[in-house]
Amino acid sequence: MLKPKQMSRLLIAASRDQMAPVIAELYRHNLFHIEEYVDAGAEGYEGFKIGTPLSGASEKSADLIKIRAITNAVALNADDVESGPSCSRDELQTRIERELPLLEREVEELTVRRSKLDTRVKELEQKISEITPFLNVPVDLNLYHGYKRFTTIAGYVSREVSLSVPCEMHLAKGKEKNFLVVVFLTEQKAEVEKALQEAGFQSVPVPDESGSARGRIEFYSGEIATLNKEILEISSQLESVKQKHAGFLVACEELLKSEVDQTEAPLRFATTKQTFVAEGWVPSDKVTAVTNSLIHAAEGKIFVTVLPTDLEHDNVPVEYNNPDFAKPTQVLMDVYSRPKYTEVDPTLMISIVFPLFFGLIVGDVGYGLIFLAMALGLRKFLKGEAGGQLLDVLRNASISTIFFGIIFSEFLGFAIPGWNPVIYSRHLMSEHGGHGPNIPELMVLSIWIGIVHLTLGRILGMYNHAKQDHGHHRTLAVMANFGWLAVMWGIILAIWSMAAIPLMPNLTGMPVVFAVAGMGVNISLIIGIVLILVGIIFIARENFLEVIELPTIVSHVLSYARIVAVGLSGVAIAMVVNYMTFEMFINPALENFTIVSIVMILIGLGIFLFGHLLNIALSILGGGLHSIRLHYVEFFTKFYKGGGQKYNPFGMKRKFTEE
Amino acid sequence: MAAEAVAVAATDLASIQAQQVGMKAIGAGLAVGLTGIGTGVAEMGIGAAAVGAIAENKDFFGLGLLFTVIPETIVIFGLVVGLLLLFL
Repeated sequence: MLKPKQMSRLLIAASRDQMAPVIAELYRHNLFHIEEYVDAGAEGYEGFKIGTPLSGASEKSADLIKIRAITNAVALNADDVESGPSCSRDELQTRIERELPLLEREVEELTVRRSKLDTRVKELEQKISEITPFLNVPVDLNLYHGYKRFTTIAGYVSREVSLSVPCEMHLAKGKEKNFLVVVFLTEQKAEVEKALQEAGFQSVPVPDESGSARGRIEFYSGEIATLNKEILEISSQLESVKQKHAGFLVACEELLKSEVDQTEAPLRFATTKQTFVAEGWVPSDKVTAVTNSLIHAAEGKIFVTVLPTDLEHDNVPVEYNNPDFAKPTQVLMDVYSRPKYTEVDPTLMISIVFPLFFGLIVGDVGYGLIFLAMALGLRKFLKGEAGGQLLDVLRNASISTIFFGIIFSEFLGFAIPGWNPVIYSRHLMSEHGGHGPNIPELMVLSIWIGIVHLTLGRILGMYNHAKQDHGHHRTLAVMANFGWLAVMWGIILAIWSMAAIPLMPNLTGMPVVFAVAGMGVNISLIIGIVLILVGIIFIARENFLEVIELPTIVSHVLSYARIVAVGLSGVAIAMVVNYMTFEMFINPALENFTIVSIVMILIGLGIFLFGHLLNIALSILGGGLHSIRLHYVEFFTKFYKGGGQKYNPFGMKRKFTEE
Repeated sequence: MAAEAVAVAATDLASIQAQQVGMKAIGAGLAVGLTGIGTGVAEMGIGAAAVGAIAENKDFFGLGLLFTVIPETIVIFGLVVGLLLLFL
């Protein structure tokens, strides 16, 4: 919790003939994050070279490419296939040898035929678009060409033209530009072209066709229709191939990928003629298990040891270590950046605070229930891991939304009948009982949230710097973070001493020490000013330029007011939708019921549905984006750097095949 | 005579108060509207650049989103001022 999983650096050395069993064992465990060997003459690695793939690597890669070509051609995605009964390795191996070439040929033939037909359709469409302008010229297409002494040109002009040379021309008027066909003596071409150029002529090719333009277009359209029918047929054949072989194909891909991964693993190891050395990272609690099974696999002819970790220079891979309920939030962390190995992992805090912010912003039982239904219902359609995690985040947020909906007494923008808001009301209209909105209180409450959140961020910043930095710089960095905190609290104290704010301590009554320009300066104001000055000195000692960032202290705290502001805008939209539906359409319709009333009620229902749909979309966007932004911009900038390397163990989660 | 003067003053006062309510509403509208324009102008360039960067490298999504929503604070301040004007 709050820290990434502890990792140990493992060094494995063995003779070359143990390579295959060792790789297989490592792959099976799916725990070893390989530190790739770079041939850069590192200390202790003199004479080592990058390894060569195990035997059979190129054949396996070729097979894998074939499989991927087929799955691409039939648009098959492993995520869409339910994991069925898994097949054993040998069974798959024989099936690959027997069935794969046949399947490949079948799919290739179909795709080649389809792409040929596609090209033909494109050609015909091109022809149709060439002929289309000539539709308005009442002349057969074969009259345009086949002359020795005459030239035909066609194209668009913006205005009418008159040619001084003897010619025959037809102008078809269009909406924006006019289509012109001219036949003239070839020797006068230069003059004609000059005259046309002055009229802004854009030429189009004269089609090499015969018969009427309409007839040709109909003929080609008919041909395109037959071709499209054939394409559809081929697509349905490919679809049936996909249905029939989906399980086999995904299993093959998985098997071959695992084999290719294993045969190519030596490319990441350091080797000599007789031995190989692999370095990598394993979670510390798994070291014994991995070591023992490696020794077992190599029958004792192997050397495995844990190397000391150098936190400053080693790029330790980072694996989250969170309780189950916080795991989905990792997706929000990865969107920003994975934490470094040495810094605090804030996932747990976000997993608690993000839903709270979301709930405070949306705070409506009705919307909360809809979000919950979405989070549970969309699971069927979003299959990837990140999608599932996002839905889990939405589920947590929706539960918090329902909770705050009960506190604010809101259901789709209405007050819950017979239930008053527990603390503060956000209802903008108070005519349905209860009191009006408590905007100032809510605003101060959200500022309080901001103060607490940012204080926590700065304390974490001090902790991170204390842990990551060394020497003089460490003291300065910790002090600077303390300085930011001091300035923030100094400003807050000064404000409290000068003005009474609801829900905040009132320090205006503190004993006055002296007066400046008729205004009493009391003790707390002096403490505040001292804190501000001390803070500025601490900040300036680390980096003087940081001082220009001081206004962000105020803007970051005030930024938390968005929790109320965005929430209220959502409430206002819901309220307007409800008002329009009931006060403007349904209630007047019911008072005086006629045929027109039915239409009015339908319109009212339409507004209700559309308005709330819009508000739901805005709520997800507003609630989610603003909550996460408060974390990313206001909270993270105080302490979080990120940029850790993802822990990517050598191996795979098998879904369709067995070991 | 005096009673008439009081009555005139009362109606004057009522109309002045009504005017003040209207002015507050105009002020709130200006606060939200103008800050909205400001945010829009600020996000215009950032958003375009961020989409370009994301198109080249999807990993940039988080950071791109972050940069794009930074000017959002301006309109939130406007909204806060508007709400305070209307309800305080």
